[in-house]
Amino acid sequence: MMSERQPIIQARDVHFHYTPGRPVLKGITLDLGPGATAIVGQNGAGKSTFVRLLNGLLKPVEGQVLVAGVDTRQMTVAQLARTVGLVFQNPSDQLFKSRVLDEVMFGPLNLGFSAQEARERAEAALAELGLEGLEARNPYDLGLAERKLVTVASVLAMGTPVIILDEPTIAQDQVGVRQLGAIVDRLARAGRTVITITHDMEFVARHFQRVLVFQDGRVLADDTAEAIFAQPELLAAAGLQAPPITRLGQALGLPATVLTVEAFVEAVRAGEG
Amino acid sequence: MRLSLYVPGDTWVHRLDPMTKLLMTVVGIGLTFLLPSLQGGTLLLVLLLAVLGSAGVLHRAAAVYVGVAIVAGTFLVVQGLVYPGNAVPALTLGPIVFYREGLLVGLRLALRLYNILSATLILVLVTHPSDLVEAVVRRGASPRLGYVIMAVLQVIPTMMATASTIMDAQRSRGLETEGSLWVRLKAFVPVMGPLVTGSLIATEERALALEVRGFSGEGRPTFLKEEVIPPYATAARLVTVAALAAGIAGRWLLGW
Amino acid sequence: MAVIEVENLRYRYPRQERLALDGITFTVEPGEFIGVIGPNLAGKSTLCQALVGLVPHFYKGAIGGQVRVAGLDVHRSTVAEVSRRAGLVFQNPFTQISGAKLTVYEEVAFGLEHAGVPREEMRRRIDEALRLLGLEAVKDQSPFALSGGQMQRLAIASVLAMEPEVLILDEPTSQLDPAGTEEVFEAVTALCRRGMAVVMAEHKVDRLAEHADRILVLHQGRQIAYGPPRQVFARENVAALGVAVPAVTQAAKALGWVLEDGTYPVTLAEAVAVGQARRGGR
Repeated sequence: MMSERQPIIQARDVHFHYTPGRPVLKGITLDLGPGATAIVGQNGAGKSTFVRLLNGLLKPVEGQVLVAGVDTRQMTVAQLARTVGLVFQNPSDQLFKSRVLDEVMFGPLNLGFSAQEARERAEAALAELGLEGLEARNPYDLGLAERKLVTVASVLAMGTPVIILDEPTIAQDQVGVRQLGAIVDRLARAGRTVITITHDMEFVARHFQRVLVFQDGRVLADDTAEAIFAQPELLAAAGLQAPPITRLGQALGLPATVLTVEAFVEAVRAGEG
Repeated sequence: MRLSLYVPGDTWVHRLDPMTKLLMTVVGIGLTFLLPSLQGGTLLLVLLLAVLGSAGVLHRAAAVYVGVAIVAGTFLVVQGLVYPGNAVPALTLGPIVFYREGLLVGLRLALRLYNILSATLILVLVTHPSDLVEAVVRRGASPRLGYVIMAVLQVIPTMMATASTIMDAQRSRGLETEGSLWVRLKAFVPVMGPLVTGSLIATEERALALEVRGFSGEGRPTFLKEEVIPPYATAARLVTVAALAAGIAGRWLLGW
Repeated sequence: MAVIEVENLRYRYPRQERLALDGITFTVEPGEFIGVIGPNLAGKSTLCQALVGLVPHFYKGAIGGQVRVAGLDVHRSTVAEVSRRAGLVFQNPFTQISGAKLTVYEEVAFGLEHAGVPREEMRRRIDEALRLLGLEAVKDQSPFALSGGQMQRLAIASVLAMEPEVLILDEPTSQLDPAGTEEVFEAVTALCRRGMAVVMAEHKVDRLAEHADRILVLHQGRQIAYGPPRQVFARENVAALGVAVPAVTQAAKALGWVLEDGTYPVTLAEAVAVGQARRGGR
């Protein structure tokens, strides 16, 4: 049974390959729990494969993944969906209803909520993503950015303890990125486990407490955002760079690593004062 | 993404130009109907298998053969049971009696099915579709028509690749796809929507991208590759046509 | 002599009431790199498609004003005619691959074959396009075996082989990782140095600030600003409309780090220089 202290997701020496002899994940051991965790790294580093192991779509070739204390091999994906919600990168892989509202209600209905409950959850999720008024539209008539937000709403409405987002900020403008950031912040504060794959380092710096750097099927680093972005060599090895504002702070020799414009301005003023 | 069922290789069949292989396929299908007898059909199948075998694609062909075995089996069972000319019992399983005449008719039908399939596989497994289309366009077919054929060929493997991703997305939202046949069938319905719509969107995007790459320009196209027709292609064509002639002669002159 | 001249361009999609583009006017000289920014639905993609004639020839709808690209009146020319002088690269690298070709090399040939380019000329152009985009090492690979960044560079190479005078890119890096994004920006900047005019719609304003000569800001179909990055990002109305501004510019504004000409730094290097001067001289 799951104890109070047990992390909701435990990966134990996880190895995975699609084709024998071509390993994609080469021994990953880590725990994931409440708060916002970003997974960064180059394309092909194994990020998307790793999150598919967390909701049971893939099963480890070696090692094990425990969700709420249970080995994912003992559960179907649909059973795991009560605990782990996963938003795919490409909305075209996910959207299939002809109305936005039905699309967002689909997950809650599968989890056994009544039509009324599912509707309330869907409407709340749509409102949080700024999609009110689009309930009756066909998802395919929306632009890529809005379609992606609909897929986020459709998983958000399921209310799972764990939420995984795969590249949510692609195609989003500033407003969309801020909305997604606010959602990550709210979920993290509410004690949910938010895991996000992203290439957007400013998004990571602003909203994530913990950062996993993936490189060639391994976890190259697992630390706080401040600690990760303070190491240019480590980032370069993973094909990454800290956000410009962080690099500006480093170039000007600020004493601490700054992650946001506001923190930068405050640090400079403090130095001047 | 795999474009087609094409199996890359460097055998004499692979090196043969697409038009010769097209001829072989057409003649193979023609002979199937010219030679309805068990003996003629068997001989043709042996020849076709020899071509596929020397092209090193029998393993892929076998997968297709197994796939249609259920159809062939149905021919045997249905004809064996209910063929109007059934007279001599051949096999009795409890109350079920299979008749010799019907089984032979079924066998001939199955043989015909496999012959058509094998002849087609020479084109499908050993000829890259783009080479075939290019060969036809070289001979005056419209480049636009050529591309439409390519695009259609491409839709199916693209859809197959996408289908499993979509299924994954649905499972991730709590749709049970594991279990009884009924559960699996039910789970397939939500897949169809994004599958078709996604393919259509990709097709439109691709059409636009090709449009701005000058695809709709007037005038005859040029070709990057020179057409290579191996010296033995003429011989292969002659043998193919000779086989057709032999089939025709055998059918009407010798009554095969 | 401007290679792109857009004058009072107005456009409305069929069955829509709102203008997708309303009063767009700008010119681009050869060798210039223009970044187009603005929130989603501001009209960035529509403008890209208007520059090659997909708007209005493919999408129909009502159009007004003038678009001249490489001497052609786009509204009175076919897409095929315009596409010989102006190439367009789309957001999704995957759907730009013809799917009809086995290798990267042949894929680049696809458009040339349809344009009826003689074989020797074709080979020369393909070699050059592959070299410029750094794809020589993968020229015999299947296009579908490439990474996202490589695939997008292949899409650019395929357009480039048509030897257009103008290259238009619609959010070409949105699906790419940071390394892939850098590859695309490096390649495009190199093309500008060779005299190509480039128009790129993009959300990554930090990168545009580094590379673009001028920035065109769109908002709800209207042109809010057009000018060098420092002037554009210094304008109050740009930030106020929810248009992204480089982080270093936001910081400089908050701290009053003004440059001599009254603008703010937009690139990391500029911000470092100003910051060091301020902090050193305190």
